[in-house]
Amino acid sequence: MEEQSYFDWSDALFAVAKIFGKPEALKGVRVLELCTRVFGPVTADLLAEFGAEVIKIELPGVGDLMRYVAPRGFFWQNISPAFTHMNHNKYHVTIDIRTPEGGELLRALVAKSTVLIENFRAGSMDSWGVGYRDLSAVNPGLIYQANSGFGQWSVYKDRPSYDATSQAMSGFSAITGFPGRTPLKTGIWIGDCTGALFAAIGIMAALHHRRKTGQGQLLDVSQAEGLIRTLDWTWLYQTITQKERALYGNRDISCSPSGVFRSREGFIAIAALDDQQFAGLCRAMQRPELAADSRFSTVTARLAEDHNRALYKMVAEWAVALDAAEIEKLAESHGFAAQRVVNARDHYHDEHLRQRGAVCEFDDPLYGKVVEYGPGPKLSESPGRMRWLAKPVGFHNSYIFRTLLNLTEERLRQLTEKQVIGTWVDRVGAKPPDDWNGRDGIIQP
Amino acid sequence: MSDDRDPKDSWYDWAREQTDPRKASRKPEALDDLLVLDISYGNVGGLVCSSMLAELGAQVIRIEPPAGDVARDYSPFGLAHQGTGFGYLAEGRNKYHITLDLQKSASREIFATLAKHADVIIETYQPGVMDSWGLGYRQLREINPRLIYAALGTYGQFGPRARSGRPGSEISNQAYSGLVHINGEPEHLEPTEYGVPTKVGSWYGWYAEGMFAAYGILLALNFRTDTGKGQMVDVSGAECIMKFIDYNLSWFHMDGKVKNRLGNYDIAVFPYTFIRCQEGYTFLAAYNDEAFETLMEIIERPEMAQDPRFSSFQHRTTVENEEALQFLLEEWSLRYPVDEVIQRVQEAISKKEGRAAAVVTGKVTQPADVIQEQNWWDRGVFQKVNDPTYGELTLQGPAWKMSQTPPRLKWLCRPIGADNAFIYLKYLGLGSSQLAALKQEGVI
Repeated sequence: MEEQSYFDWSDALFAVAKIFGKPEALKGVRVLELCTRVFGPVTADLLAEFGAEVIKIELPGVGDLMRYVAPRGFFWQNISPAFTHMNHNKYHVTIDIRTPEGGELLRALVAKSTVLIENFRAGSMDSWGVGYRDLSAVNPGLIYQANSGFGQWSVYKDRPSYDATSQAMSGFSAITGFPGRTPLKTGIWIGDCTGALFAAIGIMAALHHRRKTGQGQLLDVSQAEGLIRTLDWTWLYQTITQKERALYGNRDISCSPSGVFRSREGFIAIAALDDQQFAGLCRAMQRPELAADSRFSTVTARLAEDHNRALYKMVAEWAVALDAAEIEKLAESHGFAAQRVVNARDHYHDEHLRQRGAVCEFDDPLYGKVVEYGPGPKLSESPGRMRWLAKPVGFHNSYIFRTLLNLTEERLRQLTEKQVIGTWVDRVGAKPPDDWNGRDGIIQP
Repeated sequence: MSDDRDPKDSWYDWAREQTDPRKASRKPEALDDLLVLDISYGNVGGLVCSSMLAELGAQVIRIEPPAGDVARDYSPFGLAHQGTGFGYLAEGRNKYHITLDLQKSASREIFATLAKHADVIIETYQPGVMDSWGLGYRQLREINPRLIYAALGTYGQFGPRARSGRPGSEISNQAYSGLVHINGEPEHLEPTEYGVPTKVGSWYGWYAEGMFAAYGILLALNFRTDTGKGQMVDVSGAECIMKFIDYNLSWFHMDGKVKNRLGNYDIAVFPYTFIRCQEGYTFLAAYNDEAFETLMEIIERPEMAQDPRFSSFQHRTTVENEEALQFLLEEWSLRYPVDEVIQRVQEAISKKEGRAAAVVTGKVTQPADVIQEQNWWDRGVFQKVNDPTYGELTLQGPAWKMSQTPPRLKWLCRPIGADNAFIYLKYLGLGSSQLAALKQEGVI
């Protein structure tokens, strides 16, 4: 065994082709998603990729409003790419949980589920009679994840919140970007997604407790609070020095050199994280003497503001004369960090990412060939996997209600007439592709 | 049903009673049956990962070389507090700190013995380094089949780029993920220093890597509870952030379009932007039709809701129309201090219901003001810790409120090797004379 190289061994251990032959980490965990937009759906998506059976519950007809958020108004086969990327492997049903019969349906599902995730305004579920207090009476083992802007009992509990609310109020925006410019809203929904990851971690911890004790619990995660937690040394710096963390653009003032630089063609990240890497970078720059220069000879010396600024300038002047690809090669031979700034096209064609399943191509029964980012962490024995994309509103109603709740076709028809459940309205974002044959993707109960 | 409930028994009070962080210490911890070895080096992602587990109750042994982890030196302007940089100080929480020099073979035996006891190992060396020391997953699983072994980095442990020997880094994670490409102001006509792909200010590359690693470890733990089997968890910080880059890849596949940076504009929703006010900025969003109408009432331009440029979200998200709208909004907001702008919005939406009330705002707040905010203190988001070594310091508390197994902040950090005596005695039975000998040999 020892004769096999580490990388031949790890390539085989994680081989993407074998994923569907392996078991799943969250087998048997049923999750109810009562969410719209991003924060909640991403939480459930993280679980769905690792084998949880996620039932996404939307309002009949129009469904999750995220269905209608689309880049430049672009829809593909009547679905938005802004909706698909956070809704994988889920079962799509509809229930108007605010109605008495809808509440009954939800309670019946809760009795058979492990986790419920919601991202309504704090207290909404409770006011509809289906809050944690009501549902834990039905199922004391229920893990109830409440996602919101500011938490379930904050002074801001009544304020609506989107991702950028949390970016603004957490201090995240105040430390991102260049000095003297308008504060920058980060180009991704980073408050939603970070909060979602916190929620997923919390759910897993609660699940571990549940497996020991049978006990469920209430979890409360806020977007803004999640971002505050991730702002590294900002708070210690503020309280120890009483100075404000300012804007430094593309230069890291706590790790040097580390930043984004202009190369002859495109931009590139360059960093040296210890003295050995720094000596490597100096050799690559053909300035080996810098490694012994007292301004730069230790991590701490390189962080003195004058030294850091001078070093950043030297690296910038060096990098701009080379192609990014040349710098990456030098990083490999000299042992420092360098990585070209890449975009979606680069990802799409990246052989490394494809082999790792990080860029993942799969066949959806309704939409055909799709390409999405694969599961985050790669697990050798119980890996995550991509099965299918989001589906039209209420697409799996019949399958879920008949198999899980034993409802008859007649009962389903009644509930549909009363608009307690129901499928899609005739609207782009909600409905199947125009050329759908009425059968593909339907799961027979 | 809620109608039967005593109105005094409000959800908010009840939720607070159940999840108030001040009551955390009276309750059990979710992960108190786990022993974690964190052998990360020069990578704050590893520290974040073990912090998450430690906040949730795991016993974490943080293992550094005798001279300390170089990450102790990563700090703004190189500042240190009693010898440790602020970044490490923030993520040293709840951990036992010991030293061990893995360059020496005697140390490797000690590590293997610790690994027999461990549930989780977290490492951040270059791929293959631990393996070359005989301490990789394929060796350790032989002596501990239940072991969960997490390896963190930028390029992962398999696939062609893992073999390249190129080190990863926080900023490499940001760049490779695609985040930097779509963050920042667009190129201006004349090249500027600021019209460039822009990193986010915090160490997000490391936080995403560490948090996803904690998630992967807990997934593996659930699998182990089912089957008794351990496994390896491979985490690329770059791929972790990719998961969060919304429709980037799907849009390219479906439409051949590349998402580029647009400053504070947004191609999927608008208004969804930061606006300038007197003495500050606020976030302002109203992107569905009903909310947009409310917003136009707030800025006293109700007729604009019918303007063909703005009458649907597709129209509102073209470049020209976003610029026109931004101008309209600031024409109004510049008349008021930022707090008044926010107040006017809150007042207006309190009179609306449903989708028409979805006008959303939030002040762009400086860290100095964030930390003054009483709400965050009430919620335990900030906590003062009086540490025997480091004195009284303020740092960010755990991000979860949990009713049964709340996370908690127990202590701050420890100096290099502070827990050698306790940990080596507890797990290896090494008394003080044996430790002194090992110290002499430079093992610890």
